[in-house]
Amino acid sequence: MPARETLIALRQRFGSAIERADLAGEGRLHLFVERASLGAVCRHLALDLGARFITTIGADDRPYSGRFLVVHNFAFDREHWIASVATQPPADDPRVESICGAVPAAAWAEREMRDLVGIVPEGHRYLKRLVLPDGWPDGVHPLRKDVAWNFSPPGFDEGREFGFGEPPEGCIVVPFGPFHPTLDEPAHFRLYVEGEQVRGCEYRGFMAHRGIEKLAESVMTYNEIPLLAERICGICGCVHSVAYVQAVESAAALQPPPRAEYLRTIMLEIERLQSHLLAVGLACHIVGFDTLFMQCFRIREPVMRVAEEITGNRKTYALCVVGGVRWDIGAALRAKLLGVLERLEAEWRAVADAVGGDRNLRRRTVGVGIAGPALARDTALVGPVARAAGVAIDCRRDHPYGAYARVDFNVVTADGGDAWSRLVVRMTEVFESIRIIRQCLAQMEDGPLGLGIPDELPVGRWGLSSVEAPRGESHHFVITGEGNRPRRWRVRAPTYQNLQGVPAMIKDQQLADMTISLGSIDPCFSCTDRLETVDLRSGAARTWSQPELERLARAAARRLTP
Amino acid sequence: MSLLAKFQEMMVGLRAGRVTLPYPDQPAPAPAGFRGRPVFDAARCIGCAACANNCPAREILVVDVCQEIRILQYLGRRCTYCGRCADLCPEKAITMSREFETATDRIGDIGQRLELFMSTCQRCGRCFREPSALERLQMKGYRFDDLESERWIFRSQSYLPGAAQTQDVPIELD
Amino acid sequence: MTDGLLRAAVGVPLNAAAALLVAPLFQGAMRRLTAIVQSRRGPPIRQAYFDLLKLLGKEDIESGESGVMQRFAAYLAFACTLALTSLVPMGFPAPLGAGADAVALIYLLTLAGMCTLLAGLAAGSTYSLLGVSREMMAMVALEPLFVVALVVGALHRRSLRLDAVFGGSVYDVGGFPWSGLVMLAVMALSFQAFVQRAPFDIAEAETELMDGPLMEYSGPKLALFKYAQMVRLVVHAALFVAIFAPWGSGLGAPLGWLLFWAKVSLLVLLVALVAATHARYRIDQAIRYFAGLLAAAAVALALAACGH
Repeated sequence: MPARETLIALRQRFGSAIERADLAGEGRLHLFVERASLGAVCRHLALDLGARFITTIGADDRPYSGRFLVVHNFAFDREHWIASVATQPPADDPRVESICGAVPAAAWAEREMRDLVGIVPEGHRYLKRLVLPDGWPDGVHPLRKDVAWNFSPPGFDEGREFGFGEPPEGCIVVPFGPFHPTLDEPAHFRLYVEGEQVRGCEYRGFMAHRGIEKLAESVMTYNEIPLLAERICGICGCVHSVAYVQAVESAAALQPPPRAEYLRTIMLEIERLQSHLLAVGLACHIVGFDTLFMQCFRIREPVMRVAEEITGNRKTYALCVVGGVRWDIGAALRAKLLGVLERLEAEWRAVADAVGGDRNLRRRTVGVGIAGPALARDTALVGPVARAAGVAIDCRRDHPYGAYARVDFNVVTADGGDAWSRLVVRMTEVFESIRIIRQCLAQMEDGPLGLGIPDELPVGRWGLSSVEAPRGESHHFVITGEGNRPRRWRVRAPTYQNLQGVPAMIKDQQLADMTISLGSIDPCFSCTDRLETVDLRSGAARTWSQPELERLARAAARRLTP
Repeated sequence: MSLLAKFQEMMVGLRAGRVTLPYPDQPAPAPAGFRGRPVFDAARCIGCAACANNCPAREILVVDVCQEIRILQYLGRRCTYCGRCADLCPEKAITMSREFETATDRIGDIGQRLELFMSTCQRCGRCFREPSALERLQMKGYRFDDLESERWIFRSQSYLPGAAQTQDVPIELD
Repeated sequence: MTDGLLRAAVGVPLNAAAALLVAPLFQGAMRRLTAIVQSRRGPPIRQAYFDLLKLLGKEDIESGESGVMQRFAAYLAFACTLALTSLVPMGFPAPLGAGADAVALIYLLTLAGMCTLLAGLAAGSTYSLLGVSREMMAMVALEPLFVVALVVGALHRRSLRLDAVFGGSVYDVGGFPWSGLVMLAVMALSFQAFVQRAPFDIAEAETELMDGPLMEYSGPKLALFKYAQMVRLVVHAALFVAIFAPWGSGLGAPLGWLLFWAKVSLLVLLVALVAATHARYRIDQAIRYFAGLLAAAAVALALAACGH
């Protein structure tokens, strides 16, 4: 059912509980509901209408409306629109009903809302700290507007520890991370292992926050933020910068020129190529197959070089400004790009054929880290993880942006839901990306690269954008603000959602499969940990001597290993 | 034992030959269009400070020694080579060079300092036309960034009236 | 008597020196071959020597649960492999071959394997203990295969003495050497596991267990372990050639000696090639594989007992 009809049906069902509705065009519906009915409306959307949960956003709107703001975003993928269900808790009573019972996928987003904005989701089944460090004092919520971006709270308690649960009967605790060869990023999976089988796990992450959202709201400006956004992730930077500027353009009703849209699409697909080639190589490395790892990286190298020639850098393209792009692809670069694609396609075809018949590799990946369609729906998994489980969602087709509506491509799915299926999905998507880039290069016409923006952007407007990153849907939400910067910017990266499915994926599997299960969701922790960090030390500098550091490291290692 | 697949995979590698380069024994220059270290041309610079105002890393500092002399200091330590300064410079005084081998153990090596003799505008010192409303010069008048501790002093936001300002120096605006 | 003593006095240090000299060379050659398959240049062939020298020059730290056991395990590993070199023919008959029998060889090999277990226990961390348990499972499944190989040869020659068992004893039957060929196939298929290279480098899986039993080792003690591992590769290869591919050993020196080392080199390069093109197996998959090989070995034993 399209958005307008759904709105009418919702009005009939919920009546005056819906205070205000905004059909903002381009498949966007913004609903403002009474606080008491938030849970009911969300349950109706998720369970009765089958919407997919995207994320929850908490915001401190007190300087403007005197109240807080809670927004739940849902996607109607087959009908091509996104609904935002919002409510405004009063400033003296920041509580809302948790929707976790009906929408288990909202578990992390609500915990984050509680940590950073101080809005309590009542009825949440696991309300431990998610984002803030263990020693952070209670009652200080960094994303509130009365907390400065560089505020160091007094009363940071170094001795306070995260309260992990008890391991189940007969299990030993195997700490996985934050230091582990395969896990290049800091996170802690506390595995409960019986013999060689993993029986359960607890996750503690968010160890490397950078305060990106707070920086954007306090000190950056609209056109500086894309440069910050592309550093959210070490591989999919372009995705975040495109998603951000698209959200701002959607809020300010700006339409970038067609050539800019084609260029954004081309660079996004180039990024998908290099990300998938890396992911396949990394999966092989994790199972000890270094030769294929080297070959994947060798085949990937020309893609990096051509990106460097187009944008000036192998990975941080610095591509977007609000209203357009900064780099162009002239005739020479176009020819070079086509040559690279041709060679890539031939070599990748050879590798894909060889890997398809490789029983040795299949033995390590088939039946490992299974995420079936039920888990994919409950935890709202996205990207190749969902598509490998047979759930055919892809933002490029479901919520088209850039030039995707003008090109032809397939959404690749598989059936197994295991690490092997994800590998196959990624390998096949490489060919689809090559197809898309060729079509864009053929269709692209000459024209301006950006808009002339005559006035400052309007204030208080909502914009959102869902972009298909190589790992899944990357969702950005922006509320425009004063001072040439947004009032609120929320980033929900795909790994943020996919990590929530990992405990179920590794349960009752072998310990040796832990790394490939984790590696097969192609995790990008830097996408996940981009929220809040404030200088913890009070600014006083202290140099540590080597014996002191050694003592500290040894004590920490002893605490981690039982 | 999937021997054929293994053989095919091996042939993929052998057909490609040895592709690693003996860098740094042999130089590996960056391609044309590479965004390397920015180079400031003092002869062209008009001291408008568009670069300083729009640097996302806050690595360009500006100080007005007196009414006629303005110092523009590029620190270069946290510079991400994004190229916004080069985009916005109205006189094309900034070029993104192709240098990327900028490691050094002396922090002063990377910095560039421009001492500019300014012709004065009686009112505001404005001298550049921004490409879009989003780059509009937010701050007018004199600039007093802290060169000694290499700190960019910018306008801070107090979101609620009466809140204390921490670690920022309030600046007077026009 | 004195002839034997003289042979031992000269042969033992000579064998040990040869093994020590040649083992890092083989390691370097393996790394070079792996690099070529991976489209890289790879390190120079002398690199293994440099690595060992570098490790020996580092600070000697004790860490883990038991520093004494950590040290002991390293020394024992090196000593065992050196002792093995005097029991293994390397182009010339083994210097102590006349005085030792197959049981001593098996004991020494098992002891060398135990050293890894000791090392893991000395570290005492969760990951190293996991490595220890995997290594133990692998040893339990693998050692019997080698024992059966030796016993088949011993059955044919009616003697457990080493100089009787080496030199093609497995094929030494009246008719078609069924048991010998079956054991050849079994040992060839499990050789990769004996030398702990992919796909059977499970105990020290870097990407899963952070090097398992050896994770607390650094500096000179790590050098000893690494050297011991390199020498073990040479020893295993020499044993394989001596037992299963002895053709041409009758030729006089230096031809017989050259032929022997050519065969060993070929085997080592084959190991490198297989290691470069395979993903690592999980321990349960590996155990199932070894169990299949064990069944075949039992068949070979039965055949040997019946005189085939």
